[in-house]
Amino acid sequence: MNLYVKNFLKFALIVLLQVLILNKIVLRWWPEPSGFPLFIPYIYPLYILLLPFETPVWALVIIGFILGITVDSFENTAGIHAFATVFIAYLRTNVLNALMPRNLSDYANQSPSIKNMGWMPFLVYSSFLILLHHILFFSIELWSFSNIGYLFLKILASALTSMLFIIVYLLLFTKQSSTRS
Amino acid sequence: MLIARTRTLQGTDIVSSANTVSGLMYQKQNDVVNYFGLRKMNDSLINENAHLRAMLSVSHSYDTLKDIIVRKAIDKTDSTHVVHYAEYVYRTARVINNSISAANNYITINRGYDEGISKNMAVISGSGIVGRIVHVSAHFASILSVLSVKQQVSARLKDGTIGYITWDGERPDVMIMKDVPQQIKVKTGDSVYSTSYSFFPPEIMIGTVFKTETIRKNNLQLLYLKPSTNFRDLQYVYVVENKLDPERKQLEDSVKTRP
Repeated sequence: MNLYVKNFLKFALIVLLQVLILNKIVLRWWPEPSGFPLFIPYIYPLYILLLPFETPVWALVIIGFILGITVDSFENTAGIHAFATVFIAYLRTNVLNALMPRNLSDYANQSPSIKNMGWMPFLVYSSFLILLHHILFFSIELWSFSNIGYLFLKILASALTSMLFIIVYLLLFTKQSSTRS
Repeated sequence: MLIARTRTLQGTDIVSSANTVSGLMYQKQNDVVNYFGLRKMNDSLINENAHLRAMLSVSHSYDTLKDIIVRKAIDKTDSTHVVHYAEYVYRTARVINNSISAANNYITINRGYDEGISKNMAVISGSGIVGRIVHVSAHFASILSVLSVKQQVSARLKDGTIGYITWDGERPDVMIMKDVPQQIKVKTGDSVYSTSYSFFPPEIMIGTVFKTETIRKNNLQLLYLKPSTNFRDLQYVYVVENKLDPERKQLEDSVKTRP
């Protein structure tokens, strides 16, 4: 399948998964003490993380904006998702350069995945950018540091849960090679 | 606040859940999910019917003789008397998208300006207040729910004390009424109602007090309320149009602009 068509379908899949299913799943780690924050898991930034290695930064930023504004339009958040997504899209290439042993241009026609990066580097890469996305998103959304402990807890709980969902997504939607490594 | 502020410009409506694409998708999704909540919805309708029946029986036994005499005394040409107060039009709508976990929660309904919905109308549920219409398209509208850090609602205690209700952006089942003077005796379990000062029609239930706290610094009370609307499983709402609202807005704005 054409790379562009494939990535477009992936875009549609991940946005629909986010807005129609995950946005309805309001989670809380435990109900007592009742001050524990409610949140919904966000997996849509994963789309940015999974674009092919050699995607230029300008394309990443534009795709990030389109992705963010799409989610914004479903959630009435007026550009907050777009901001956070553009930010991590901009940083993505730098983080990958720091983590990958070889030059990024050596990985022609490949996307970041557990298979070609290994578990640890991939988890570091995705959890760092996801955490950054969540910090930006939740602090702009609440726009006040009067209750910083609550904000911190919400970011932490939400980022960890999002990572869990992302790992599940990866296990579900990556092709398993016949020889398990 | 600066970034998320809802502007009144027409153009910004495109990036909201009231636009046709996301509205339609939410509609389709709700068509599927709606079925699973029917039992809960029946219960809430039965409760509301019981409430309305109780109100009906009160007004039947009420002695209206006094009112009739007053009304007869008013001549239509006599402009010193107010002959009618507010006229409310209630429209029903189905909730097709709802959120409770954000700092500003929005609800999308399946009615738009084709059905007579317009901006700034109040939205109530069978059991209490819900929010205010902020974006409208042809067939959908999005509501800024009272669970929002950028919206305050005027409220009245049982004894007539007026204050306002805010939400702190944390739990969907706790709202806060600030700055109640210390001499006002408030018990847990007291009901709080809306007033006609804000956009809601008066005497709509907001919630019940479950905790009071006195702040040492200024000797004012802080009341914690449990909202009477259950935002978690909102299915049907009423959009309330106040027929006299444009006139009132115009008058109040004319006072504001005058130096």
